[in-house]
Amino acid sequence: MQQILPRYTPTSSDPWDRTKAAHLLNRAGFGGRPEEIDHVLRLGPEAAVDDLMAFGRVPESFAPPDFTSLRSLWETVAGLYRTNASNRQRFEARAIAQRADNEKLQELREWWVSRMIQTRRPLQERMVLFWHGLLVSGRPEVRFVENLYNQNELFRRHALGNFKALILAVARDPAMLEYLDNESNRKGRPNENFARELLELFTMGVGNYTEEDIKEAARAFTGWTRRDYQFFFDARQHDDGPKTFMGRTGNLDGGDIVDVVFEQPATARYLPRRLFEYFGYLRPEDDVVDGLATVFRQSAFEVAPVVRAILTSRAFYSPKAIRTQVKSPAQLVVGTVRLLGVDAIPIAQLVRAMDLMGQALFNPPNVGGWPRGESWITTATILARYNFSSLILTGGMFGVARRPATRPALPPEALKAATVSQTAGDAVDRLTALLVNGAMGDAKKAPLLKALGAPGPRAGFSAASAEGEAKFRSVLHLLMCSPEYQLA
Amino acid sequence: MNQGMTRREFLQKGLTIVAMGATAPSFLTRTALAMGNPFDVAQVSNRPGVPDDHVLVVVQMGGGNDGLNTLVPFTDDAYYRARPRLAVSRNEVIRITGDLGFHPRMAKLKEMLDRGNMAVIQGVGYPNPNRSHFKSMEIWHTADPEGRSLRVGWIGRYFDSKCPGCEQPTVGFNVGPTMPLAMRSEGGQGVTLDNPDAFQWMPSVDGIGAREELEIFRMLNAPAPNEPGTIDFLRHTAMNAVLSSDRVREAMRAYRGGIDYPNNRFAFSMRLIAQMIAGRLPTKVYYAHMTGFDTHAGQQGVHDALLEQLSTGVEAFYRDLEAQGNAERVLVIAFSEFGRRVAENGSNGTDHGTAAPVLVFGKRIRPGLHGQQPSLTDLQSNDLKHHVDFRSVYATVLDGWLGAEPAKILGADFARVPFLV
Repeated sequence: MQQILPRYTPTSSDPWDRTKAAHLLNRAGFGGRPEEIDHVLRLGPEAAVDDLMAFGRVPESFAPPDFTSLRSLWETVAGLYRTNASNRQRFEARAIAQRADNEKLQELREWWVSRMIQTRRPLQERMVLFWHGLLVSGRPEVRFVENLYNQNELFRRHALGNFKALILAVARDPAMLEYLDNESNRKGRPNENFARELLELFTMGVGNYTEEDIKEAARAFTGWTRRDYQFFFDARQHDDGPKTFMGRTGNLDGGDIVDVVFEQPATARYLPRRLFEYFGYLRPEDDVVDGLATVFRQSAFEVAPVVRAILTSRAFYSPKAIRTQVKSPAQLVVGTVRLLGVDAIPIAQLVRAMDLMGQALFNPPNVGGWPRGESWITTATILARYNFSSLILTGGMFGVARRPATRPALPPEALKAATVSQTAGDAVDRLTALLVNGAMGDAKKAPLLKALGAPGPRAGFSAASAEGEAKFRSVLHLLMCSPEYQLA
Repeated sequence: MNQGMTRREFLQKGLTIVAMGATAPSFLTRTALAMGNPFDVAQVSNRPGVPDDHVLVVVQMGGGNDGLNTLVPFTDDAYYRARPRLAVSRNEVIRITGDLGFHPRMAKLKEMLDRGNMAVIQGVGYPNPNRSHFKSMEIWHTADPEGRSLRVGWIGRYFDSKCPGCEQPTVGFNVGPTMPLAMRSEGGQGVTLDNPDAFQWMPSVDGIGAREELEIFRMLNAPAPNEPGTIDFLRHTAMNAVLSSDRVREAMRAYRGGIDYPNNRFAFSMRLIAQMIAGRLPTKVYYAHMTGFDTHAGQQGVHDALLEQLSTGVEAFYRDLEAQGNAERVLVIAFSEFGRRVAENGSNGTDHGTAAPVLVFGKRIRPGLHGQQPSLTDLQSNDLKHHVDFRSVYATVLDGWLGAEPAKILGADFARVPFLV
């Protein structure tokens, strides 16, 4: 059982190359531009991972959304419930506050997407996305957007921290207390919602506990509630009687439940598997999970060593991993914008495009989080993914924005590729290298040459004319509308 | 995927293939067949006696519908004892029998019941009930109570049994964000769509021209032999999307409308399905989703509203189908992954439970109550015992409505519930 996950070491037959460097940036971040890939290539696999993981050294500050006026609107509502205001007054004040809260949510969604686009700590944001998809909270159950923001910051602080500490923090997190109803989990008639998902989805996985364990854990979390935006322990609602949870008997409270959970072998395997599936590939081999579980246990449930073990493993760089992951909408949208330097599309439209692709931030489909792998792809979402390219290149996308009369400028990185290309073959090579890291062979390049109107790769090409530029856009569009571009 | 075609199939399909041209990739050929006539002639027709134009609509009530507040046992003291705050009061219940009645927000469904267009199968579940949303939903979708995480669903297996190895994009049509496992078949997945206005590929502008670009787009997306699974999957989905988007928009254009639907997501879904049926899409099974039934806290307002949405949505849907003259062809079944705990919790809600009613709508059914209302005193771990296995409901639909052989699809045969004429 104490086996260690085999590490990737470059050899002459399995060298550290651009494909692997790009792979690392795709999975541990939002992809890389050519110069970023070159940088990682020079660093080598170990130093590159060190670099990505040491994001704490990179200075970064994003002003948080301002919740002051929203707070006072909600305080007004609370005040009306304390006095003998009429129901109509209360209802109207509520409606006003709710509308403002919804607007703030939209602002928060845009704030996060902008942050993902601008961040110099891509792994940190990827981890925030991971936690948002694992320790799920969202609308409509979470009524206060400020709680969602605070949870998002919690995930950022704990991005690569200790998992047990994060679970304890999440059990007291106001958004989670709202989302899974623990705020109303009271002595005598407990609410099982949080206790169940804590075991099933957050720490252990289905099948590793009994229904009785859920009921007892729910009792232990009674009285864990909140006052507005803060955790609050309500001793009067806490059931301090004896409970038996997974073989342990005593006057257990929520913290004791978490202690027992972290003694279970299933817990040591669950998060490492989820992390490997996030960074590597779905359904990893048992020995991969075993190796990661050992690392996880030995570090007392620190996340960073597990992530490091994954990103430096042979499995991570195996053919099973490379270019096999369906990009999440966040990867696709944020990755495209970062790659091409897109700056002419309003963030709100990018957020909306992600919604249509099935990833509405702060509003995941259910407590199980986002789809994964091929589940992202349906006939509807693949068209949304392809039409997103139209948003970038024409400013219009069905369900998002009408095509404006004038096209947005060609994104800067695409313009750069267009300007330096002398022949049609050169232009196609540059674009395929930029977008799909060379994952397209000559057979697929031939139709792209046709789109440039070129009889062959040596035909001259210039983006200086309007016609040349439009054809170049057409090729770029076709590339973004390819299955290859959906994979990272 | 089966690339072959029997001689009989070839003779039946020959005409379409000729029309497609000899060089069409086999995938496209098969898709074209499916688009033109997915369930045509002998190989896909139903057993004699079951009309070929039957359509099934599955409504998923996601989250765990509270069966006891849907079909209320209003004379049972145990119900009122277990639910001091959430019980539907005796004088508000819409009475069906001497001791069972609908939630007051289900008035429209009571009308359907009275017209003979609704049946309720009581106490549906399975042995060793799983109270995880995801596991129990998977069990309902795969018809496998062992929960072995099968990759193909019960409706998908029905598609496969009708046309092995066929790619039939529009044979299963899901309205909602993600394709349900129930519809996944060996031949791929069907059409999913949320927003018909966005269901169309957009070429760029002023390049080599929209038509030429579409042609190249198809080349880049066409399935090719020996490609890794995920790329292949993406190609098939992309081609299905492009091919079906034309059909969907055609159907939208053909729809006459004029029927008032309520203003909510579920009603939009049912309206879209009615549009597709009116447009004669070659679809056998439609799938619609409702969510929000996971009422652990503050159940009352939420659950009431959902039951009303269900009632008014289904009622409008049948009104639409009647106007189209298609009502006879369509059967609706509405299910949830489990019911809820008999006793309410301290949050004015209910936790995950077990057996619950399945609702059936249609013109050619035996209306009224079927099965048996589970006892509220003879419980198992505080939860209801089921009397009807959900696979019996599936077997009845597969056999009586879709003309398929249940044992082939469900792995074994199950007693029928006599809710079909």
